[in-house]
Parts: sequence; structure tokens; C-alpha cells
Amino acid sequence: MANFFNLIQNENMKIYRKSATKIMFIILFALILTAGLIIKFGTHEKAISDNWKQELIAQNKQDQKVMAKMSGNAKNYYQERIAKNDYRIEHDLKPTTGKNIWNFTDDATNNLMTVIILFTIIVVSTSISSEFSWGTIKLLLIRPVSRTSVLLSKYISALIYAVVMILFMFVVSWLIGGILFGFGGLSAANLQYVDGHVFETNWVVYELKQYGLLSITLVMMVTLAAMIASIFRNSALAIGISIFLTMGGSIIVEILSRFDWVKYILFVNMDLHQYINGTPFQKGMTMGFSLSVLAVYFIIFVILGWLFFTKRDVAA
Amino acid sequence: MNQPAVKLEHVTKQIGRKTIIKDLTFDIYSGEVFGFLGPNGAGKTTTIRMIVGLMKISQGNIFIHGKSIKTEFKQAIKHIGAIVENPEMYKYLSGYNNLVHYARMINGVSKERIDEVVKLVGLSDRIHDKVKRYSLGMRQRLGLAQALLHSPDVLILDEPTNGLDPAGIREMRQHIRKLAQEEGIAVIVSSHLLSEMELMCDRIGIIQKGKLIGVQTVNEFIHSDTNQQVQFYVDKPKKSSQVIIDSLSLSNVIQGDTYIELSIIKEQIPLVCEALIKADIKLYNIKTLEKTLEEKFLEVTGGVSVG
Repeated sequence: MANFFNLIQNENMKIYRKSATKIMFIILFALILTAGLIIKFGTHEKAISDNWKQELIAQNKQDQKVMAKMSGNAKNYYQERIAKNDYRIEHDLKPTTGKNIWNFTDDATNNLMTVIILFTIIVVSTSISSEFSWGTIKLLLIRPVSRTSVLLSKYISALIYAVVMILFMFVVSWLIGGILFGFGGLSAANLQYVDGHVFETNWVVYELKQYGLLSITLVMMVTLAAMIASIFRNSALAIGISIFLTMGGSIIVEILSRFDWVKYILFVNMDLHQYINGTPFQKGMTMGFSLSVLAVYFIIFVILGWLFFTKRDVAA
Repeated sequence: MNQPAVKLEHVTKQIGRKTIIKDLTFDIYSGEVFGFLGPNGAGKTTTIRMIVGLMKISQGNIFIHGKSIKTEFKQAIKHIGAIVENPEMYKYLSGYNNLVHYARMINGVSKERIDEVVKLVGLSDRIHDKVKRYSLGMRQRLGLAQALLHSPDVLILDEPTNGLDPAGIREMRQHIRKLAQEEGIAVIVSSHLLSEMELMCDRIGIIQKGKLIGVQTVNEFIHSDTNQQVQFYVDKPKKSSQVIIDSLSLSNVIQGDTYIELSIIKEQIPLVCEALIKADIKLYNIKTLEKTLEEKFLEVTGGVSVG
């Protein structure tokens, strides 16, 4: 039988030849460029002076005073800043501002990942439901290929699209950051603070890790969108619901936060940063707990989406 | 006879409590064009969808060259090429890329085969244009091309001449007859243009309200009546009708300006001629009015064309 790679190739052809997809790349590029220009010309961050060591010492003293009045988790922010400042003074590492190639790339990653998630939701939803609304599904499913492989090829090609988008974002923001703020900033140290210790990490490895963590949200939302699209067979509905949930997830959590069972809600568990360098949403929640909750959701999404796609009559 | 290309066995489709298709049983053989006839809403498209596996069969089974579409889907469907309702294609892709898309989904379709099929349906000049710029007729041709890509043994065409101009219809008809006769493909055609069916099909199955009313060859279907309407073109119609009424004691004589029309059996035609000539009437022409499939169809289905 026709091999699975051919199906992926077909789905890729359908994704990248669509003008909407090209526009998505243009939008992402425009967003990065605009952000770069605003940071370059629109902000007035004080340049780092030569006696930055004295300034850091002064800042540390100030922070310690503020911290003394605080209790609990609020202290964390200041503790981290003081530790990082100490590390810089000790190892003679001049601080950087937002106008640095790596800081810019990192900012782009954190802020534009949502855009990529939205775009991928649109891609996976249209990929599934437009076959029904155009009627092309009738010619697609009368081939010697199982419905399961058709659906899987659509899902995987949407994830490939997300990876392509992420790489595109990384390269473009790195280049724009370099062009606007100078490639000289490449040597800037990346200080990370974990469990009271400061250490330096490689930027590329660090960014990949960021993408990895953010991709959990991406995969969950894309799977959800794929499920909705295969249940309702309607792009507008699938895109609408998924985007509403992506954007409104935190509001839903907020409203339900007084209940204990809120910790079983999908959106609470998608952000794994909370276990790495932050505080968990609820006491007693662990990485393992969140991963299990996510796994359960994932399996439910996959089974429901698969059942509706493979078992229901095509009547459109 | 050898194994049927398509075999429907007590096929029933229920949606909710409603039974859409009731106990359809018929066979279609290689090398024949089978017309599937019925008023709108009779269940033609539902049946076609069950044959190609888009809809599940509630009871019964469908076999394509002996393979059940229910349990051996891949083995069964690879014999089929089909257009279900309108040939909907990816409009933002070129016609060629649409074909590449379908070619990738089945083994053994080479680039040469794609070109061959494109040539066969007469789309060579426009195949690299985007489908959104195609006319309905061109889409119909592209639809036929995708159905023929993998050289199927069974071809299912829903309304194949829809949107074609008269020359295109003729061409499509010739294609279909040629595919059946020369390549031994079993072709299932459904059409609302009944006169088309008459020219294209070997056998016709009539379906109404989900039930199969009958399967007949086209000739049987049209000539099953013993009485035929026969027009005799004469110089004196008035006198002629009098002569016929007197000599042959026929009652229902229709009198036209230049002819008389009688409802008689074949053997009566020479008798009528003899009577007319004896009465010194000039006989110019004799014309047998064959009932068209359309009239027959309306007769069989009780004149209800929209069910």
C-alpha cells in the first residue's frame, strides 16, 4: 500500500501551497521586525556604564532592604537577582540590556510562541475540516489508505509545520537581533538560577529547552483543535473554540481557582516552567502530576478525534 | 457467468430509525455500463457512498471483485475509481498537483500514467492551471482523470455529464463506452439526464424510495410494450382515419395535419399500409415513435420525479 511518507508529502503540499500559510510566515516576520524596531528606537534603556560593578552592589543593597520586609514566595525574585548580580561581579561578566541579540531572540521566543500556537491551530483545523466543507474528503477517503493514516498524516504534518515555524522564528529573530543590536552581543552570558545556584548555560541549548517546554502547550492545543475539527467537521467552529480556549484558558482557571479540583484542568498543567524556575500553581503539584494529567488529556483527545474521524459516515 | 465486478447483497442503510435503503441486491459485471436511475432523494448517492465505503452498511454486504468493502476495505477499494457527486478538487492547487496528490495515495501510478490520463481526458493544455480557474466541464474531466489514474476495474460516476457542453457529453459517452468495451471495466453511472442513460448504458437499475424496482437491459426497458405508437404520413389524413376505423376497426386514431397516429403492434403495420393503398391514399412515410427512457421512467415511477 502507498506508504505513509507519501501522505505526509500530500498534506505538506496542501499546507504550504495555500496563500494563508504564506501570509502566516509574513505576519510572523513582520511581528519580529516590528518588535526589534520598537526596542531599538522606541525604548530608552540606560546603557551599561563602565563602573557597572558599583551599580550592581548598590542594587543588591537596595534589594536586600526590600526583601527584608517580604515573606514567602515574593522574595524569590529578589533572591535570584542578587545571586545573579553576585555571580556577575565575581566572574567579571558585564550585564546586558534588552538590546542584545540573545536577549531579543529569547524575548521573541517567549512572546511569539502563542502566535505560532494559534497559526498551528488554524492549520490543523483547516487541514481536517476543510476537506469536509470543500467535499474533497469524498475523493480522499476512497483510496486504499486507512482513515487512521489519513488523520495521522494531517496531525503530523501540522506538527511539522509548527517546527518549521519555530525554526523560522528562531533564525529570523536571531538575524534581526544581530542586525539591529550587533552580532557582538553573541558573547553575552546566559545566567540561570536554579535552587539557589547560578550557572552559565549555552544560549542555543537554552532556547531549545524553552521551545521544548513551550511545545507542550503547543502539542496539547493542536491535539485539542484536531479533535474538535474531526468532531464538528467545521473549520470556523474548530478554530474559534481552540483559540478561545488558548486565550481564555487562564481566565477559566482564575474563575475556578477556589476549587481544589482546578489542578486537574488542562491549562493549569500545560506550563511546566512552574516546576523548573517558578512556583507550582497549587501546593503539592509536581512535574510528575502535571505530566500524568497531560497524558490523560492527550489520550482522551486522540481517542475522541480518531473515533469521530474514522467511524462516522461521510455525508457532506 | 464469471464473478461479478460489484455485488450488492441485501444492502440496507438505516439512519436513526429511518431506513434509507431497503434490501438492495444486484450484480454488475465487467465490461458493462450499468445505469443507476431514480428520482432525487431515492437513495442513489447513498448507495454509491456505501459502495465506495464512505458510508457504513447497516445490513448486508458489498463485494468488489469478491472483496468485502466492509472487512477488506483496502483490497476492495483499490479496484474502484470514482467521482461521488461533484468532482470537488483542491482549488488552490493546479490540476496536475491534484492528480499527483491522488497518485501518491496508491501504488504503481507513474508520472507517465498521469500524463497519459491527462491526454485521455483532453486537459493537456490547461493541466498546470489552478483548478479555481477551471470551468465545470474541465473539473468534470479532471474528476474523470483522478478516477482513472490507477487503471481501476470498476468506475463509478455520479452525474458524469453534468456541466459538459454537447460535444463534451458526446466525448464523455464515447469514453465510457470505450472503457467498458475495450478495457473491460465495469462502469456504474448515475444521471438525471435519462436520455443520456439510454445512449450510454447496457443495463439500468431503477431505484425509488430506497427500493430497487427493477433491473432491465436498456432494450427491454424501452421495447417491453407490445403496442407502439406509429405515425403514417399521408396526403389525406381525414380520409385515412376513416378508412382505418372502417376496415381495421381501430378506435384510438389520432389525426394530424399530415399524418395519422395509431397504437398498434408490429404485425398490424403492413395491414394498415394495405388498407391505405387500397383506398387510393398516398403513403409517404411510416414512423415508429419509440418511447424515450424518460417517458418510461416516469411511467414506472408513477410520474413523481422528485421523491
